Formats: sequence, structure tokens, C-alpha cells
Amino acid sequence: MITLTHYLVLSGALFCIGLYVILAKQNAVQILIGVELMLNAAILNLVAFGRFDKLNSSGQTFALFAIILAAAATAVALAIVLNVYRRYKTIDPGRINELKD
Amino acid sequence: MNHALSNIDVQTINFALAAVLLPLVAAFINRLLPAKSGKVSGWISVLAIIAAVSLSIVVFSRVWNFKQLHQQYLWFTIGQTPVYVGMLLNNLSAFMLLLVTVIALPVHIYSTAYIKAAEQKRYFTYLSLFCFSMLALVVVDSMIMLYAFWELVGFSSYLLIGFWFTKDSAVQANKKAFIMNRIGDIGLLSAIIILFTQYHTFDLVQLFGEHGLIIKSTIQNGLWTAPTGELPAIWQYIAFIGILLAVAAKSAQFPLHTWLPDAMEGPTSVSALIHAATMVAAGVFLLGRVYPMFNNTELDILAIVGCFTAFMAATIALTQNDLKRILAYSTISQLGYMIMAMGVGAYASSLFHLATHAFFKCLLFLCAGVIIHEVQHIKDEHDLDIDPQNILYMGGLRKKMPVTFIATLVGCLALVGIPLTSGYLSKDGILIQAFEWAENRSLAYQIIPITILLTSGITAFYVARLMFKVFFGQFKIKEILPNVHLHIGDGSWSFKVPLILLSLCSLFPLFSLNPFLYEHAWLFEGFSPSQHMARQNNYHTIIPIGVNLLCIFVVYWAYAVYIQQRKLVFGQKNFFFKLSYNQWYIDAFYRNVIVNAVLGFGRSLFALDRRVIDGFIYLLQRITGALSALSAWTDRYLVDGFLHSVALLVKGIGDFFRSFQGGKVQYYLFSMLAIILAVFIFKLLI
Repeated sequence: MITLTHYLVLSGALFCIGLYVILAKQNAVQILIGVELMLNAAILNLVAFGRFDKLNSSGQTFALFAIILAAAATAVALAIVLNVYRRYKTIDPGRINELKD
Repeated sequence: MNHALSNIDVQTINFALAAVLLPLVAAFINRLLPAKSGKVSGWISVLAIIAAVSLSIVVFSRVWNFKQLHQQYLWFTIGQTPVYVGMLLNNLSAFMLLLVTVIALPVHIYSTAYIKAAEQKRYFTYLSLFCFSMLALVVVDSMIMLYAFWELVGFSSYLLIGFWFTKDSAVQANKKAFIMNRIGDIGLLSAIIILFTQYHTFDLVQLFGEHGLIIKSTIQNGLWTAPTGELPAIWQYIAFIGILLAVAAKSAQFPLHTWLPDAMEGPTSVSALIHAATMVAAGVFLLGRVYPMFNNTELDILAIVGCFTAFMAATIALTQNDLKRILAYSTISQLGYMIMAMGVGAYASSLFHLATHAFFKCLLFLCAGVIIHEVQHIKDEHDLDIDPQNILYMGGLRKKMPVTFIATLVGCLALVGIPLTSGYLSKDGILIQAFEWAENRSLAYQIIPITILLTSGITAFYVARLMFKVFFGQFKIKEILPNVHLHIGDGSWSFKVPLILLSLCSLFPLFSLNPFLYEHAWLFEGFSPSQHMARQNNYHTIIPIGVNLLCIFVVYWAYAVYIQQRKLVFGQKNFFFKLSYNQWYIDAFYRNVIVNAVLGFGRSLFALDRRVIDGFIYLLQRITGALSALSAWTDRYLVDGFLHSVALLVKGIGDFFRSFQGGKVQYYLFSMLAIILAVFIFKLLI
């Protein structure tokens, strides 16, 4: 029997993996993947808690919205990454540090 | 005061002014000429002096025995005292004006040949400046101006003595002359100050004129009373001593005479003009100007000083071997005669002798210049190691240089005082008046005329020695080096013309038509009081004859000694020879006693300065240094240390917070995460 706890543990693991990817990777696209992972952890939570609202299925609906928004946000982010690459000839966020003191 | 003068008098004064200023203009032009102008500067000066001579002749002819011209303008006023600048032309100044210019003319012409072309610009600048100062000195009418030009004469003579300034001896000589003259200047200045305190005026006419303040003042009961005030009598004597110092320094009288022989380091033409005829005459001229102020005691002192100087210098001249040095001592001796003549009241004879002496001594110096010039030629040609001025190397020049020989002979005869020369007229006048002066006095006073008579004899001897050593016998260099070829002669016309001119002036016709009676000389009459001097006693006949017999005997003696080589002369080992040869040890005395004392004093002051004052300063310096080192340490380690530690703290805090702003986006995220976690953990613990 798969309980809510299993979903939450999976979601927390996903979130932590995403967080690690964001903090540790030196590639903006990989960081974007990390962001997606964290987003998916949040969506998994929405779907898991959706079982307590069976009439309206509001959890699933929210999840759909979130996925669509995430896709749009990813598209925008990828465009930004492309522009950053054009300007700096790199997509390592550690080397884009012109604003430091 | 000025409107009384008629047109012709104004013109006369303007002429005199022009005569004085022309040499100054020449000096300025020469100064501004380019450095390599060669002989141009010489001719500028000669032209200026020719113009000055002609103007002086006109001035002289209008003023002499005719009237006294005096014109002055207000110069400035100090308090209530107006100081005038002006010109005073009377017999004395007109005569001096003429004498100086007439002597300067042949010297200028002579110098154009004597001085190398490259050096002429500097030489003639100085010479013209000197002529200007001397001419101005004789015509000014106030003590202030007199003092100014008195100094200027001393200064320009300083320039000329040190003309060859690369020679160390010339530098020493001009320094010596300048310092000696400064001593005299101090005397003159103090005398002027005292006279001004007493009479409240600097004007020469008001002071010394016929109705002047000096005539009206008396010395009684230790008080010096004048119409303008009273002073203790001692001040009158101090003023006299000041004047005496001034005269002794300028006219080279004992004890300030030692600069004159050393001044022979200058060019010979300079010696002729300055140290024989003009500058040294300034002292006698000053005596003539201030003559009314002397009382009998002071006149006696003058007579003694002059007499002693005349005798001393003559004895020194006996043994000197340097041609110019002999002439220098002879000048001192003759100046002694003039001072003594002033002292015995022979005012006119003194000035008369000044004039005649100026001519024949200038002549002798110029002759000496020619001789030295020629010997120098021989020296340069054969590369000999001799002193061209030493008469022991000369001899037999009579045949080689006939014109110079005749000129020297005339000059020497005039110096000895042989009849038919000008020297006879003036010198015998002095001798006669000296005997007359001593006639009614005690035995001690008889020493003066007898010494002077003796000096005449000595003069005859050294002059004869000079003549025989230089012009007779064999040329000594030729005896040492038989193969020397001598190409010497009288030199160019610029040498000969001045010699001939001055020779003629050294004979009697210029001064008197009667060659035997000095009383008839026009110069003498011009300066004498109006009553004619009678030939009231036998002196007028006996003395000239006696003196001349003495002189002729002495000259024969010298002839016997030097030409016939008879042993009639004193040995060269005894005390008198050494005394004379070493110039009475006066120079040595000055050097050892005064100069060394002054230098020693200076050195001890220097040591005091070094040790005590500098030591104190150094001590202060060390104390200050230690104090500042201490405060520097405090500053560095305490004050700065505190500030540095504050700064370090602030920097540390700043660096700590700065490290979060590393510019890495992921690091910011990590920080955010860490803080949020920290907040949650904090919340859980509470």
C-alpha cells in the first residue's frame, strides 16, 4: 500500500536533489534541470494531496497549471541562457560575476 | 646765491663740470663696448682726456688769481640741515684740475701702447673712472661730496692696482692698499662728523673760506669756541688726528705708507698716474683745503711726520733693487717733503712742489715702464729666469735707449733739485722755509731742517745709484749670457711723445722765467699771501748753493762707487744696511704684530664659534633629536598602533561581510539556504 508518506518522501528527495543540482552544477542548463526537479517535487505534492479533494480534483488541476507555467518559464529561462551565452561566451554562472564588488 | 654769477662765470663752471664728467662718460662707453673692441676704448679715453685738458686750460685761465667761483644746488635736507651739491673753483681747485688732466694726458697716450689690446677695454674703463673721481674730488665744494670722491679714488686705485688680478701678489697689494686707505677714510669721516657737530655745515667755503667759521673759532681754556657752538678742545685735536690719518693713508705717510711700494704691482702707467702724480697728491690737496683749521701744535706734528717720512723713505730707497720700488720710496719721501712744508707754513711751496713732483715723477715712472717693457722683451725672447724690474740685471742702456736715457736724466736731475729744473725751484723753497721756520726756535726744532737737508743728500745718492746701475756700465745680462742678442730701443711714438712732453714740463721755463729764484715762480705767487716775500736773510742764497754742492759731491761719490768700482761704500752686512734693505722692518712689524694679532684674534673667535657656540647648538640639536625620536616612537607605536588596530578591525568585519558578495549566484543561494536552515533549526531549538 502506497501511503501519502511515501509520496512526501519521494517529493522531499526530489526537492533535495533539485536543490543540490542548482547549488553544485556549473552549467546553467543543468541548473534549469534542477529547477524543474524542484518544481516537479512541488507538483508531486499537489497531486498527492489531491486525493483528499475527490469531488473537484483541484490538486490535479493545479498540477496541470503548474506544469504549463513551468514549461513556459523554462522556455523563457532557456532564451535567457541563450542570450547570456551570446554575451559572455559561457553559461557557467560562477564566471558571470560582473556585479561583484 | 646763483644769480650773482655772470654768463661767462656760468660758462666757466659748465666747462669745469664737462672736464670732470668727460672721463666718466668715457668710462661708461668703454664699459658698454663689446669685449673685443681692441684699441678703440683707449682712443675714447684719450679723446675724453684731451677735451678735459683743453677745458681745464680755459677754466684755469679764467679762475687763476682772478676770482673764486662757487655754485651750488640744494641736494637734500635732513631735519633742519640742507646739504648742497656744488662746485668750488678757486686757485687751488683750478690748479689741481689742470694738473691732474695734464698729467693724465701723457699717461693715457702711453697706456695705449703699454697695455695689450685685449686688456685695454677693462684698463681704460678703470683709468677713466679714476680720472673722473680725482677731478671731481678737487672741484667739489662740500665735505660730503669730498668724502664720497675720496672713497671713489681709493676704490678705483684698488681696481687698477689689482689690474692683473691673476697675479697673487697684485691681489695682496690691492687688498693692502684698500685696507690702508680705509683706515684713512675712517679718519676723514670722523673729522667731517666732528666739524659738522661744531659748525653745522658741510660747505667748504663756509668752513674754510676767508671769512669762514674756522677763522672765527678759537681754543681757550680747554674750550673750542665757534660762532655756532662750543665743544671741549679735545675734539679739535681728534678732528686733526682724523685728517692726519686720512692724509697719511692717501699720501703714503708714516705709519700708513706701506701700501704704496706694494702698489707697484699694478701696470707701470698706473703707478705713474696714481702713485706718483694724482692720487697720492689727494692727501696734500686735502691739507691745502682744510689748512686754516690747524693750530701751531698741529702744524708741528705735520712737520715732524713729514720730515720723518721723507728721511725714512729716502734711506729705504738707498738699498732697494726693484726699479719701481725705488721710485715708490722716492715718491713717499717727496710727499714727506710736501707734508713737512705744510707743517712749517710753506703752503705755497708745498703745492708748488706737488706740481713739479707730479711732472718729474710721472716722467720717471713712464721711463721705468719703458725700461721694464724692454727687459721683459729680452726675458721673453731668451726665456730667462730674471725679474725684469731688478736694476742689478740692467746697465749700459744709455746707448740702446737714448730718448729714455735723456728723459730719465731730466727726471732724476729734477728729483735731486739741480738748477735749471723745476725740482730745484720747488725743493729749495721748502728747504729755505724750513730753515726760516726753525730759526727762532729751540735746538730740538733744528733737527727738522737738518734732517731734510740730509734727506736731499740721500736722495741724490739713490738717484745717482739708479742712473748708474741702469744706464751706465755694461749690460749685466750680457755678462751672464754673452750670446744674448739685444733688440731693444725706445719703443714707438706713443712711448716717446709722453716722455718728451713730460721732460719739457720738468724744466724750469714752465714754472718760472728765472731759473734760480723760486719766489718768482707764478705758481708760488698764486698761492702765497699777497705781500711779497722779501729775501730777508742769507738762507735764500746759502741753502741752494749748499744743497747743490752736497748733491754734486754725493753724485760724484756714487759715480766713484758704482762706475769706478772704488770701495767707498758701506758694507752690506751692518745694521743700517739691513734696516734699509728690509724697509725699516715696518712691513714685518705690521705683519707680525698687527696682521698676525688680527688673524689670531679671528682664529680664536672662529674656535670660539666652533667649540662654544656651535657646541651649544649641537647640544640643542641632539636634545631636540632625542625628543623627536621619542615622540616619533610614541606616534608610530601608540597613536598609530591604536588607529591601525581600529582600522584592522573594521577591515576584518568588512572583509567578512564582503566575502558573501563574491559575485557567484549559487553561493548566494547557498547562503540563503543556510540562513533559512539556521532559522528553522533555531526555531526548533526554542
